[in-house]
Amino acid sequence: MANHSQLNFQDASSPIMEELMGFHDHALMVALAICSLVLYILTLMLTEKLSSNTVDAQAIELVWTILPAMVLITLALPSLRILYMMDEINEPDLTLKAIGHQWYWTYEYTDLKNLTFDSYMTPTTDLPLGHFRLLEVDHRVVVPMSSTVRVIVTADDVLHSWAVPTLGVKTDAIPGRLNQTSFLANRPGVYYGQCSEICGANHSFMPIVVEATPLANFESWSSSHPS
Amino acid sequence: MRGLLARRMKFHLLGAFLVSMGCAALYKFGVAEPRKQAYENFYRNYDPMKDFEAMKAAGVLESAPPN
Repeated sequence: MANHSQLNFQDASSPIMEELMGFHDHALMVALAICSLVLYILTLMLTEKLSSNTVDAQAIELVWTILPAMVLITLALPSLRILYMMDEINEPDLTLKAIGHQWYWTYEYTDLKNLTFDSYMTPTTDLPLGHFRLLEVDHRVVVPMSSTVRVIVTADDVLHSWAVPTLGVKTDAIPGRLNQTSFLANRPGVYYGQCSEICGANHSFMPIVVEATPLANFESWSSSHPS
Repeated sequence: MRGLLARRMKFHLLGAFLVSMGCAALYKFGVAEPRKQAYENFYRNYDPMKDFEAMKAAGVLESAPPN
């Protein structure tokens, strides 16, 4: 989860999120270079006391056409690389369905047994000490770590969005449509997210909690969890 | 005395380019590379099972209550 007043990304817990953070650093570096260039030239122009009656300047026009094109290519290539990486065929070990409702999520694990449960936010009045306000749920999504998990996201009523920032996942839940995403949790842990598409009065109160555990623990959890 | 503006602009355009490259290099070697290195260092000797056992003992996992 994010700390209070956090502006940057949460630590990455999946390989895709690590790539996205690297790309963000790259894009921000390019943006910083351009902004500092513009600021320098702006300051220069504002302190300029000489005048000019130049009417054409072919050389500089060529430069300020070619250079931005090169900048765009520098941004596009890593972006497309990650886009295609996210869409690679990866043969997931587990498929999980996430169905958005007003205002809770339903999760279905139907690979081996018919395991379905709803996940409601824990109200603040019922929150145990040390738990996170507006982020905890009554039933978490337990997944095996270091395994590719496919999530099929849809909604029952209005638009929702299933997002877990630390895993680099955000997928819209659209009624009548199945959207697919996948992730791989590098480490065991508890990962928080929140509904990311406005869906009514309690849009801010339908969080997502993914719990990644070793495979053995996941198997014992799923076999002990009532269907 | 000719070409005063052109000379000033050529000088400062080069300066602007160097400043912008300097800012980019500062960000790359001050933020981006240390971040990559931090992730490498973290995962070099990372033991997920040890981490899991610590989380289990702390009681933060719903699927693995402490013994």
